[in-house]
Amino acid sequence: MKQIIALIRDERVEETKTALEVVGVRGVTFLHVTGRGQQRGKVSARELGGSLTRNMRLQLAEVRSDRDDPACSQDMEFASPDPDKEFAFGFLPKRMLIMVSDDDQVEHIVQAIVSVNQSGRHGDGRIFICPMISAIRVRTGEQGEKALL
Amino acid sequence: MKMIWAIIRPESAHKVIKALDAAGIGGMTRLHVTGHGKEMGITLGAVHYSEIPKELLLIVVPDSDVARTVLIIRSEAKSGQKTGSGEGRIGDGKIFITYVEDTFAIRTAGKTGNPQNP
Repeated sequence: MKQIIALIRDERVEETKTALEVVGVRGVTFLHVTGRGQQRGKVSARELGGSLTRNMRLQLAEVRSDRDDPACSQDMEFASPDPDKEFAFGFLPKRMLIMVSDDDQVEHIVQAIVSVNQSGRHGDGRIFICPMISAIRVRTGEQGEKALL
Repeated sequence: MKMIWAIIRPESAHKVIKALDAAGIGGMTRLHVTGHGKEMGITLGAVHYSEIPKELLLIVVPDSDVARTVLIIRSEAKSGQKTGSGEGRIGDGKIFITYVEDTFAIRTAGKTGNPQNP
């Protein structure tokens, strides 16, 4: 039994749900998280497309108040962003999907998630595969693989 | 590879993130959570609080970086005086470490041995 933790873009959640349904994944837990990778949460204005979410604005305000962080010290303007100007949000809103599956299903699930989330740009996300020892269905008390069906 | 689940005080999160960043561990996921430890929360006057806000950081690192990462989190998330016996207080947090067998980068669709690398 494996636990699959996938971190994906917020806007790809609906497509991912459909793709997971196709490969037969029924139980998924969705979480709103913030995260960053090697880019340290940097996004160019072009990529943002002028669509700053409320969450991002809040984060920017937070970043601004922290003057001594070198990664966030660049001057950030809302009004007229240069398309190539990079915004350092620190943490970007992402969605975290948690699912548990049989060992032999893992590959299909990974492929399904990759196929709908791959855009080739930074920030597409990561998938982590972790061992899961057991599962228990609360309603009936069934244990192990039976609890997944 | 290991996944480090660090539950820390929200007010120390920024310090921890900054220190990890400086050590080259920049990739992480951050969640706002609530919880309590073995003290079952805190009681202030007549009011009992059982869900105390905390920050959960998920950091995946190769095995060789685990000790270093844990040390950074421990030293930065600890509250109070850094010298003498006044160091650390109840509620500073916990660090859990779990196994990660594989990491896939969605952008390249490839397995990555070190998830902290691009």
